[in-house]
Amino acid sequence: MASVTLEHIYKRFGDLVAVKDQSLEIKDKEFIVLVGPSGCGKSTTLRMIAGLEEISEGTLKIGDQVVNDVAPKDRDIAMVFQNYALYPHMNVYDNMAFGLKLRKFPKDEIERRVQEAADILGIEQLLERKPKQLSGGQRQRVALGRAIVREPQVFLMDEPLSNLDAKLRVQMRTELSKLHDELQTTMIYVTHDQTEAMTMGDRIVVLKDGVIQQVDDPLSLYNKPNNMFVAGFIGSPAMNFMDAKIEKEGDTYYIDGDGTFRIRVPEDKEDHIKDYVGKNVVFGVRPEDIVDTNINHDFEVKEDNSFEADVDVVEPMGSEIYLYLAEEAHSLIARVEAESTAKTGDTISLGVDLRKIHIFDAETEECVF
Amino acid sequence: MQITLKDIARMADVAESTVSRALNNKPGVGEDTKLKIIKIAKKHNYRPNQLARGLAANKTNMIAVILSEMDSPGNIEIVKSLEKAAEKNGYQIILCNTNNQTEKEKSYLTLLESNQVDGAIFIGGKLVEGHLLRASFSPDNNIVLVNRLAEENFFTSVLTDYSQGVYKAVGHLLDQGFENIALVGGEDYNLIEEEKSAGYKAALIDHGYQINEDLIFSIKADRKSGYNVFLEIIEGDIIPDAFISTSELTTIGLVEAIKMGGYFIPDDFAVVGYGDNILTSVIDPPLTVLSEPVDALADYSFDFLLKLINKKMKDQQIKVLTPELIIRESSISKYN
Repeated sequence: MASVTLEHIYKRFGDLVAVKDQSLEIKDKEFIVLVGPSGCGKSTTLRMIAGLEEISEGTLKIGDQVVNDVAPKDRDIAMVFQNYALYPHMNVYDNMAFGLKLRKFPKDEIERRVQEAADILGIEQLLERKPKQLSGGQRQRVALGRAIVREPQVFLMDEPLSNLDAKLRVQMRTELSKLHDELQTTMIYVTHDQTEAMTMGDRIVVLKDGVIQQVDDPLSLYNKPNNMFVAGFIGSPAMNFMDAKIEKEGDTYYIDGDGTFRIRVPEDKEDHIKDYVGKNVVFGVRPEDIVDTNINHDFEVKEDNSFEADVDVVEPMGSEIYLYLAEEAHSLIARVEAESTAKTGDTISLGVDLRKIHIFDAETEECVF
Repeated sequence: MQITLKDIARMADVAESTVSRALNNKPGVGEDTKLKIIKIAKKHNYRPNQLARGLAANKTNMIAVILSEMDSPGNIEIVKSLEKAAEKNGYQIILCNTNNQTEKEKSYLTLLESNQVDGAIFIGGKLVEGHLLRASFSPDNNIVLVNRLAEENFFTSVLTDYSQGVYKAVGHLLDQGFENIALVGGEDYNLIEEEKSAGYKAALIDHGYQINEDLIFSIKADRKSGYNVFLEIIEGDIIPDAFISTSELTTIGLVEAIKMGGYFIPDDFAVVGYGDNILTSVIDPPLTVLSEPVDALADYSFDFLLKLINKKMKDQQIKVLTPELIIRESSISKYN
């Protein structure tokens, strides 16, 4: 088991800088998820840790050892990719054991490791079966088993669940988290799926264009995004963004959407906003922080935290309803309680939970609060 | 000097593009003109310049065949067969031998990465390491593995199921009435040998026999060890009535020792050897052998590589082939 430390890591492919100045400390036994859209450098980062890509600049440590020039096989890591092969003519046991056999491990040691891995993965009864007699999830477990038997210091996983159907993916997510609890080994997991990241990671690293945007635990990432990218990337449906200006009337500050909406800045946030009076900002609010005022809600709705909008589309999800709204020039989504009776074409009154709103600098896109 | 497309065009009094279409059997050329062009081309022994063709199509029409061991007879047979398949498809091969050395393999891999070849077939070798894994991430690197395993990523592969081969051999010997079958296998710690041994055990169990560990021998794969193991066996408590030998050289030593001892094959001992070659059929008696499916290994691997090169491979594939049991006199019972 070991920590993994990235110090000012760069990866250049010719003129293209795929990874820029990444510094990150992954703690021993931590489950860390690298997440971002395609091309954000998450897989490149993982491959540099694996030793499959050279590091252009910076230092990489596993434990206390600098491993920049250490060959992949000597890094004591095991990888699981989306695209793995189970050999059809080998049974489950051999599909897990062949790597150890080829590395010339003693027989009893191989036996112990495979049995232990099978036990952890709940596939002890499948060891004699051939891959074609297994379900998709069982095959995935065997692929994991192949990594587990290597007893590595660090597991690297690159979208290992992407090939599974939606239902199985959800199930395997939980299993992987449990597996991490049991193995107590550092895991670095790459995904483009923010839900996967949120549900699995102790901490999440959000990447964009090769640059780390934020490293945080799932809730902090959700509630306190550093910038508009993180705010928009984490959460589904995504946060609503609306251009606005900060205005001051008497002692009160307002977020003004060019006359179309006017929302009061909560008093405890006024300090953050003082320098922004008269300036352009972006107002952000998550769909669940907008309520249908006809339904019960746990905050007071007044004129300065509500607005009217036309309902464009109603999407009932069962436990809740997504309302696609048009408010003058803006379109936004509200995630309201299932009791809402709003119908397409209605004009309804909506309230904004002021405790949950966000303001971003329109120029830098950094979070103001 | 070699005749060019341009020369043919001049001789036939047509445009170069017409000659190209005619020789490549493409539409847009009258039948008479086509015949005329083909006649001229044949007369002057015209051969297209593969390199120039490659440049035009961004292809080299060359593939690298990267061997882990040059001196394994099976590997050479695969290469021969591969060369035939390549030639048939307008490809030439570059033969590389790594001697199981990582550094050599890395340097040959640059042929592929610098587009000097259109694809590479790796035959045999150690577990796939980082450099090959890394190469596999680029869709432009067309790679097929033959008899080589990878733990992480999915490589299009063609594999021999060694265990099934021995399984078949045991089944055949049991059918012939031999019941004490000895396995003369390679040294421990060799995955392929282990697979063969697994096939031997599985066959006995499936046919309702017990496994007798005293009939399983692990020896060095050479002639002398094959000879010596027989001397050891006939001194033992259980004398087998049949042998399955899993390497070519061991088989030779074993057969030699049986004959030197004044025993007869198959009267006293039936023998199933490994690897088919000229000698196995002319030896007295002709030997029953398990033969590596070399032609099929070559055909499948080349076909897969061609599909990868032409971007026609939808999903990566693993093809598993079984060694063929070629039955000759050495395993046919006269009395049972």
